[in-house]
Amino acid sequence: MEAILGILISALLTQNFILVKFYGICPFMGVSKKIDTALGMGMAVTFVMALASAACYGINLALIALDLEYMQTVVFILAIASIVQVVEMFLKKSVPALYKALGVFLPLITTNCAVLGVVLVNVQQGYNFLLSTINGAAGGLGFTLAIVLFASIRERVNKTECPECFKGFPIALISAGLLALAFMGFSGLSIF
Amino acid sequence: MNFKKQFNEGLLTKNPVTVQLLGMCSTLAITTSLFNGIGMGLAVTAILICSNILISALRNFIPSQIRIAAYITIIAGFVTVVDLLLKAFIPALSESLGVFIPLIVVNCIILGRAEGFASKNTVLASAVDGICQGIGYTIALVIMCVVRELLGSGTFGGGLLNNGEGIRIIPAQFPAMQMVMPVGGFLTLGFVIAGSQWLMKRLEMKNKKKEAAK
Amino acid sequence: MKTESNVAYILRLALTLLVITAVVAVALAGVNSITEPKIDQLNAEKTQQAIEAVLPGGFDTEITDYTDDTGLVSKVYSGANGYAFEVTPGGFDNTITMMVGVDSDGKVLGISIVSHTETAGLGAVAAASTTAGEAFRSQFVGMSGSVSVSKDGGEVDALTGATITSRAVCTGVNAALACAANLG
Repeated sequence: MEAILGILISALLTQNFILVKFYGICPFMGVSKKIDTALGMGMAVTFVMALASAACYGINLALIALDLEYMQTVVFILAIASIVQVVEMFLKKSVPALYKALGVFLPLITTNCAVLGVVLVNVQQGYNFLLSTINGAAGGLGFTLAIVLFASIRERVNKTECPECFKGFPIALISAGLLALAFMGFSGLSIF
Repeated sequence: MNFKKQFNEGLLTKNPVTVQLLGMCSTLAITTSLFNGIGMGLAVTAILICSNILISALRNFIPSQIRIAAYITIIAGFVTVVDLLLKAFIPALSESLGVFIPLIVVNCIILGRAEGFASKNTVLASAVDGICQGIGYTIALVIMCVVRELLGSGTFGGGLLNNGEGIRIIPAQFPAMQMVMPVGGFLTLGFVIAGSQWLMKRLEMKNKKKEAAK
Repeated sequence: MKTESNVAYILRLALTLLVITAVVAVALAGVNSITEPKIDQLNAEKTQQAIEAVLPGGFDTEITDYTDDTGLVSKVYSGANGYAFEVTPGGFDNTITMMVGVDSDGKVLGISIVSHTETAGLGAVAAASTTAGEAFRSQFVGMSGSVSVSKDGGEVDALTGATITSRAVCTGVNAALACAANLG
């Protein structure tokens, strides 16, 4: 239980996937212009990250058994790509409402390094099946938290005046920097 | 084929980092010392050239429905090769870049160029594109590294010069260490992009003036 | 598309992907067979150097029969002058692998960091072969019982801006000291 709580706190706050570890910056900058799209992306990423963590735990066991550990990167990314594809097809057929909400984000997730990142971290840390899945889900929630906060800042920033050459991405990056500064405050936080 | 145009694009007008905003995870995460920046830049450039060449050569054989999966497999193969080679021959770099080497697989620069350029152009043009985009990426990384290292650790050339300690420019008690932390990454990239936007505006105005004078 | 039936087309897709994956796998197996012995050798050398750095005179045998209450000790080497413990405390980013030498009186002989992923310029200083790094590691020499950073009331001066890394190193040293006490 302690381990689970520790993973949750660290994935959400102290080791936030985006603002501290820099995984998944591309969608963070790309899909954060509006709060509701940011939330949709966050949910889709969380879903895929949890699934990928669970699946890759099994795949990694198989790779170790076959003595093929050097194939990890190749196999993991293929697994992630297939998971995204399957999830997309499944949602389209069975849960059209959810597909409507998340569908456009799904293809982008394959190349979201948060997903491959969490899988590789799980393997490095030697997490068991439960902890891997929780770490995946918690990492996704951390991603959602950061991207929604950032989108709400950006909605306001875009309405304000700023020097010509800072328009667009530079000012967004600087706001992200300030958000990261705020999250640094959590770094001293430790339980147990 | 226009080498000069491609070079200009890679370096400034279509720089992968400052204009296309590709591959930002590594740009932000590892730019804390010059050694990291140059190492990452060269690793990505090498992979980019190889994958561009191979994907361009295979562009007529890969059916379009499975092209993304095929590209990712090819890229992942090259990334693993580089990862293994670094581990065996430059362990210091492999340790310093850590998980960001395997994460080159999902570095959007490589997939982006594969999809956007190599899949539509000849092998030679794709190779040149890989070189130019790679150099542009490396230069952007090096600029980020120099700024962050100077302000954050007060040194220049960390991991490379002066026995790995780097040349100390700002006395040890003064640097703002936040600059090597995530905050500094976002801020520095913001300013670098702002700088390049300013530079491009200037160049554009100059060109317009020249044309007007003609 | 029209000339091919649907099944044939899907088969062709699958086959193309299979061929690509197979070629990649074969190529990787080739590269791996070259690099694997080299990587193993490098790792072995690194461990060897780390042991020699913290245990004067090196080690004679690896002990597998030890009591570790902390769960952080991964290997124990025994030499003429004491023991070397490989410990893996959790650092700022990921686990740190480090070697701690302890003499027969339960005093730290030296510490050396084998691998880590701490922030360059901050936590990474703990492992660097720089003056600051040496100074940080050498202050552990001669300590016994339990160590902690000055912020927590101990004697260890934490690295600037890297309290978490410094604490992790202390945790590792404590694990080694506790394990040494159990060995007697």
